[in-house]
Amino acid sequence: MKTKLLAAAAVVTFLVSSCGSTEKPAAQVAAVTTPGVLVEDAWVRATTGAKDTTMTAAFLSLTNPGDTDVKLTSATSPVAGVVQLHEMAMQDGKMVMREKSGGITVPAASHAHLSPGGDHIMLMSLKRPLNPGDEVPLTLKFSDNTTHDLKVPVKAFTEEEEHYHTK
Amino acid sequence: MTTRRQFFGYAGAAAAGAAATGGAVVALDNDTAEAPVSRTISPYGEHQAGIARAAPAVAELVSFKLGTDRAGLGRLMRLWTSDIIALADGRAAPGDTAPELAVANKSLTVTVGFGPRVFELTGQRPPGLDDLPVMKHDRLQPAWSGGDLLVMVGADDAVSVVHAVRRLIADAKPFATPIWRQTGFWDSTGPDGKPVTGRNLFGQVDGTGNPAFGTPEFDQTVWSADGPDWFRGGTTLVVRRIRLNLDTWDELTRSEQERAVGRKLSTGAPLTGTAEHDELDLEARDADGRPVIAQNAHARLSHHSENDGRRIFRKGLNYVHDTGATRESGLIFLSHQADVAGQFLPLLARLDAVDALNEWTTTIGSAVFALPPGFQPGEWLGQKLLT
Repeated sequence: MKTKLLAAAAVVTFLVSSCGSTEKPAAQVAAVTTPGVLVEDAWVRATTGAKDTTMTAAFLSLTNPGDTDVKLTSATSPVAGVVQLHEMAMQDGKMVMREKSGGITVPAASHAHLSPGGDHIMLMSLKRPLNPGDEVPLTLKFSDNTTHDLKVPVKAFTEEEEHYHTK
Repeated sequence: MTTRRQFFGYAGAAAAGAAATGGAVVALDNDTAEAPVSRTISPYGEHQAGIARAAPAVAELVSFKLGTDRAGLGRLMRLWTSDIIALADGRAAPGDTAPELAVANKSLTVTVGFGPRVFELTGQRPPGLDDLPVMKHDRLQPAWSGGDLLVMVGADDAVSVVHAVRRLIADAKPFATPIWRQTGFWDSTGPDGKPVTGRNLFGQVDGTGNPAFGTPEFDQTVWSADGPDWFRGGTTLVVRRIRLNLDTWDELTRSEQERAVGRKLSTGAPLTGTAEHDELDLEARDADGRPVIAQNAHARLSHHSENDGRRIFRKGLNYVHDTGATRESGLIFLSHQADVAGQFLPLLARLDAVDALNEWTTTIGSAVFALPPGFQPGEWLGQKLLT
């Protein structure tokens, strides 16, 4: 199975990292013995129309083709003063959003989906409103010491909006 | 191409393999464990994935007016590229508000084109890419004509098409506004499940003269080799909305209908042959000395031997447009060629002048687009033009 996974990693599809340090032609990826986490489908929710335009969230999908768990340990973006990894959790019978201590695990040979209503990357103290059509630089750091520099599109979205207005 | 997805899949796409049996494989015998046939079309390649293949069962074309600059167009192309990758794979595009409508194994393709005005922003216009002059028989309506940006979505199923289009339009909103949308359908599968050319709503086998996929003729006809470097592997697309007057067509005898085209209705064979792909015998004469394939027959006028060897690769999508109880029927005519002015325009002018079919057909919409080459993993549509 491992051979298969590595073969699959040779033809990875990570568009979102195309401007980043992890960009490599497929052939080069194949030479890496422990492929890092793959990032796909990243997007940031626009602040347009939000009551609080100083915070928003980034969502993406992480795939770990390796055979050991990897953690997303931190994220940074020049558009946000503070960036935290968050989870949604039940607390006193209420769904709340809180910082996820220890980061977000991407299990071996599996995925982690950061999505509205689930784990997400919280962008706080935004330096400017984020409009649909913008692009936001976002850097992800993982427990295997790999870094992904992404250019993430800002998209309009309304679902779950209340989650990001409650502290 | 085998992608990582086929090994990992998403939770949401887990049922994809099982779903595939609904399509190409008809499993009459439940005891026969046939491997499901994947109908997923990879979005990657030298050329955009939807071009060198038969017309999709269902397709929608959307033309946009661009309201952004060159940098904004680049952001839109990056955005659309990631949407296209996700949609082709049968998973929700980022930020999808109805993610369950993204379904795998639907032969979904998305094709993107740039209208002539884009090159006022970018330069490097492909040679010959201009709006077509208005022909004598044209009755063009602005509501079906022109545009700065084209997106065409094709799939086996209309639900997948309208969902993908909805997503692509939503993501384009900061950059571009739709100015027309056209939906069409085509049946390119015979009763035995094998591919066929397909028929328009006149009942004619339509598209027989195309160069065959994978031949040097096809490549030379379709893919740009002489244009600017960014356009290598690209092609151009002419979209013509052609209204068919079925009422007056139906008043003709079958032999009158066949004479107008120069082909038999039953098989699509030329009137001088027996099988669809038999070569036309343009010299053949009947007992009275008249050409068997008439001088103004569509098949003669459009034949490459009559056009200095110029060829096109054309596809059709049938359409119906209902207003209350009134139905308009027609054909969304799609023509691919490396060079519009060099290949398509002379043919169009010739057909406009004398084609017998002009009596029952009226072109009511026209648009021209340059379709950038395809993209590989890590790349995006139009990258070479826009960076």
